[in-house]
Amino acid sequence: MDELINKLKKEVITQLNLEDISVDDINPDAPLFGEGLGLDSIDALELIVLLEKNYGIKIEDPKDGKKIFYSIRTMAEYITEHQKKA
Amino acid sequence: MAYINGIGIISPQNTLPGSDFLEPVVEHTSEFLKSIEPVYKSYIDPMASRRMSRLIKMGISSAKICVQDAGIEMPDAIITGTGLGSVEDTEKILGELSKEEKFLNPTPFIQSTYNTISSQIAINLKCHQYNSTYVHRCFSLESCLIDALLQIEEGTAVNVLAGGIDEMTLNHLSIIRRLGLWKREAIRNLDLWSSKVPGALAGEGAAYFIISEERTDKTYACLAAVETLYKPESTDKTAETVVRFISENGLKPEDVDLVLMGNNGNEEHDRICNDVIEHALPSASHMVYKHLCGEYHTVSGFALYLAANILRKQFIPSSLPCLPKSPGKLQNILIHNHFWNTDHSFILVRR
Repeated sequence: MDELINKLKKEVITQLNLEDISVDDINPDAPLFGEGLGLDSIDALELIVLLEKNYGIKIEDPKDGKKIFYSIRTMAEYITEHQKKA
Repeated sequence: MAYINGIGIISPQNTLPGSDFLEPVVEHTSEFLKSIEPVYKSYIDPMASRRMSRLIKMGISSAKICVQDAGIEMPDAIITGTGLGSVEDTEKILGELSKEEKFLNPTPFIQSTYNTISSQIAINLKCHQYNSTYVHRCFSLESCLIDALLQIEEGTAVNVLAGGIDEMTLNHLSIIRRLGLWKREAIRNLDLWSSKVPGALAGEGAAYFIISEERTDKTYACLAAVETLYKPESTDKTAETVVRFISENGLKPEDVDLVLMGNNGNEEHDRICNDVIEHALPSASHMVYKHLCGEYHTVSGFALYLAANILRKQFIPSSLPCLPKSPGKLQNILIHNHFWNTDHSFILVRR
């Protein structure tokens, strides 16, 4: 899980062009939106594309997004769960 | 008629705040003249700028520099002219489309639209007034300036933020090169006029102006009139248009002290520039300037920056030699530009 979390942090930094943020600056349990990294709705779209492109995961129900993208850890858990099912 | 009361320009030369007027001149040996960019953090919040392309950052920064230079709180209108818009973002989105359409990133798609520049300026300035964008190739900035003059004339605005912006990328350069427009190898920009390499030297830049109803202590010059001429029948017809244009503005050919000519290093293109001015204004001093900024659709913005500063400072930098000699007085400057003899434009700037 830790390996996936670190990989995800790097991918999020690249995808969202978070220039001044390093892997160590991101708390895996901190909220991605609002507080924490302070991401917005366009970032949410970028994260949806990231999951689909890098992990082959398509989010069918938009309502699930809030839970999946709460933090880096929830994203990693969702990916792991999805990969087990596949 | 209106007044240029503020300027913000990002160009391949030293034109950022605090620099002297084109001193020292910047030499480039490259395939195109790239702009000298400011530290964007000084103008844009890093969290907002992280998803902006270079063009949008150049647009917002030059607009903010311009508003600061004019010393106004907020413009009454924001108008932008751009020939190509966000080339970098358009390339990104087209690149993704050509690979796999279902994985489109939203950011370059949103920002690839032409009006993103003007709207991002408005968001950054928190300006809720008139906002418009003109995308008319080499008439883009000219159309924008005509709109600004109309806004002033009709009394719908007192201070208009109007400007032109275009960026160049290596990918775009290589595509357009196939049409024979650009030079096929890197040259030193200061050698442009003696270079044997055919084609124009490409460039880029952003130039915003505060166009105002009233003259103030910030005024650079008077923007007297702007006119465009599409696909002229002949050089004579273009020369006739120049004479009529200045006559409609109360001037005789001998009243024009200096002409900023649109030569870009392409032999055929430059011959047209030379013929037009030789026929229309044989006694006027003239100068070329595109060795400093290169050729692009909204290059008249760089010329307008030059004209406004020359009139205010009553000084011509050494990097801009005048032919046949320096003008005895500097009251009236004509900017003539054309894009492959299709889009001709004339801008009259007065002291």
